[in-house]
Amino acid sequence: MSRVVVTGIGVISAIGNNASENHNSLQKGGTGIGKAQFLNSKYAEELLFGEIKLSNEALLSRLKISVDSKLTRTELLAFVAFEEATKDAGLSKEELQDFETALLSATTVSGMVEMEAIYADANTNTEPSPFVSSYRSGAHTLQLAKAFGLRGYTDTINTACSSSANSIMQGARMLKAGKAKRAIVGGVDSLAKYTVNGFNSLQIFSDEITRPFDANRKGLNLGEGAAYLVLELEEDTVGKTIYGEVRGFGNSNDAYHPSSMSPEAVGVKGAINGALETADLQPFNISYVNAHGTGTENNDYTELHGMNQIFDVVPPFASTKSFTGHTLAAAGAIEAVYSLLNIHHQEMYPTLNWQTQMPEFEQKPLLDFVPNTEIKHVLSNSFGFGGNCSSLILSKV
Amino acid sequence: MEAAELKAKLKIQIIEYLNLLDFTPEDIDDEDQLFGPKFDLDSIDALELSVLLEREYGIKMEDPAEGRKVLVTVNTMTDYILANKKEA
Amino acid sequence: MMFIKDLTCISPQKTIQEEFFGTEPIIYTGSQLKAVEPSYAEIPRSQLRRMGKSNRMATGAAMPLLEKWKTDGIIIGTTDGGMEDCHRFLNQIVKFEEGTLTPTNFVQGSPSSPAGGLALMSKNSGYNNTHSNKGLSFENCLMDADLLFIEGRAKRLMVGCVEEISQAQYKIETLAGFIKQEEISTNKLIGCGTAGAVNGEGAAMFVVDFENDGAIAEIVDSEMISCPILNDLTLKVKLLLERNGLGVADIDALMLGYSGDSNSDYWYDDFAKQLFPQTGILSFKNLFGETPSASSFATWFAANLVNGKPVPPMAVQKSVSGELKTVLIYNHYQGNQHGFVLVRGV
Repeated sequence: MSRVVVTGIGVISAIGNNASENHNSLQKGGTGIGKAQFLNSKYAEELLFGEIKLSNEALLSRLKISVDSKLTRTELLAFVAFEEATKDAGLSKEELQDFETALLSATTVSGMVEMEAIYADANTNTEPSPFVSSYRSGAHTLQLAKAFGLRGYTDTINTACSSSANSIMQGARMLKAGKAKRAIVGGVDSLAKYTVNGFNSLQIFSDEITRPFDANRKGLNLGEGAAYLVLELEEDTVGKTIYGEVRGFGNSNDAYHPSSMSPEAVGVKGAINGALETADLQPFNISYVNAHGTGTENNDYTELHGMNQIFDVVPPFASTKSFTGHTLAAAGAIEAVYSLLNIHHQEMYPTLNWQTQMPEFEQKPLLDFVPNTEIKHVLSNSFGFGGNCSSLILSKV
Repeated sequence: MEAAELKAKLKIQIIEYLNLLDFTPEDIDDEDQLFGPKFDLDSIDALELSVLLEREYGIKMEDPAEGRKVLVTVNTMTDYILANKKEA
Repeated sequence: MMFIKDLTCISPQKTIQEEFFGTEPIIYTGSQLKAVEPSYAEIPRSQLRRMGKSNRMATGAAMPLLEKWKTDGIIIGTTDGGMEDCHRFLNQIVKFEEGTLTPTNFVQGSPSSPAGGLALMSKNSGYNNTHSNKGLSFENCLMDADLLFIEGRAKRLMVGCVEEISQAQYKIETLAGFIKQEEISTNKLIGCGTAGAVNGEGAAMFVVDFENDGAIAEIVDSEMISCPILNDLTLKVKLLLERNGLGVADIDALMLGYSGDSNSDYWYDDFAKQLFPQTGILSFKNLFGETPSASSFATWFAANLVNGKPVPPMAVQKSVSGELKTVLIYNHYQGNQHGFVLVRGV
């Protein structure tokens, strides 16, 4: 059966406005987490965020396509990353608009980012705001379909932090099953007052830059971003650059608690084992792990505990959330892109801001950038609220 | 406010904040373990109770460890409120 | 694609009480058709207390099935699920000026909450996914399930949708021009000639199997397109029929998503005229209302009809002659997202 490979990537995050800029930052080790400039929330003064260094106006000016409606920040980020990925893959207009081209995206915040508008539309407005049709999940996907004339399968997945890992997974599965010829897969989330307050009510923010897998970790920093991958079957990619293969994918539910993971790491193990099984690989085949690594007490313990139960020797692992912050629904896709950069450039990226060993484990995350190293298979983990755990294995072709 | 009056008020508030459908204030004993089997509460309920303390009594618990000592019974919550109450 | 082993539905009709078929349907006036809910006696009160309406309905519809049938995973579609909790949290943010806020509304307000909650309650650690794609969410669930079956990763799955009428979202949809302003009875809804639809709510849940193991009906296939022209629709349907070895004549009835909205119901007229000029037509939104997951209600309805349940006269828009074995559902949401589900008796 033909392999599902990635022929185009697009990403925008706190560490870069396109794939090349993201790559440079990952190599150089500079975090994108700091004081937010555009976020309209009192917490912009109190907490640190992985904010994209562009205003909405600046994002709009980067778009090649013109749109006839006002776009939310979520939509703008999605458009930027979508344009980059599809251009990178060299997709023609005909290919984009083919019945057999699928778009699978993901978001949690969607248009809720426009908080003033949604509050007014829900309470006081007698005339609709320009964003009135943009609040609900699926809005940005429909906007993309409308703007680019997409006529195939479209989907918007929302499983909190594992969302875009699930959209990548389903896109790959559709190609393998012959349900689509190519799939643009990924996700987006923008920094929003709604989400900031939501996470704050759960008391899982750190008041300093996040420390994934550190004994003194205090929580996460929220980030924003978007990433898309263009998936095609290998036989259709003559002459194209191939970043890697989507070789394995696993999804499992913790069935433990609405917002924390089971100490027995049921979902973690289910997801990773599922990915290994579909990839037809053994744990020792994994060269590097892009961990979920949010910097919360619960996640980092559970993730490393689960990995210790699967791997005889835990491979080098890191959390790039120390660069970007936790980008929620976009995390799976952004980190899949980073995993593909690991493979394409044969290098490993570190975890920033780590200082102290977790007493429960002997392993610590990778702390330095490692160039020129053999990377065959990368495991990327994304674990969400409600226990939805997903893992992807990206492989060198 | 006297302790007895406060306990009565607190029980009503606990039921309201946690939407404890099957309980009346009379069903909650002062020494009942809030996080024991009778009420089946979890960590999100703990967060709700800390919001209750802040909104109703102006007391902000900074440290989660403090919460584990305070949010135990109606009695422990009452003692804590009487010791720390500010104008909400 | 898959076989429906069992199904439940909470809706504005007495569907959960199984008193819908063969009785007079409930006629509503106005543009909010509220769900007729069960007692929820089987939901532990400690969990019920926290649930918003959509979580409650999803649980009430799905848990009886999950208790009866062991499934390899849970796939849920919802867009407005949790929306009221969402707005409660939003209102807290404004009222308390981003001060200390209670988390329950935030957690319950996530569309992924029903699927997570069902997994928790049924202790199901299998595959779990939530599709939140407005008018195509149910078709997305079907694709997801189909893939698992093709891959051999599942034999039986729970698939379904839930939507709630959130007063906040209702207000937003009203501003956007999608809600009918006139007070009209649902038995006069279709063809009433005024703009806007009427809002329904509920949950339609299915246990679906890879193989026919005493199935009630078959979901043969599904298709979708966004922002089409009429020609795209007919091309899609022809592809759908051809790949299943079927022709127009094999369709015993169309089930069309007429919502009473004069701005967008023309799609159904044009489509039927173009491709199925002789075929009988059934409606469902004059019974269940409009929701982003309306096609899940249509599928529940069609599955029961092809399994021999009597057709409510109010659903007949153009008479159906002969046996009702194969029904093609065509539904769009607000004129933008168009989906097809093909249902057949076994």
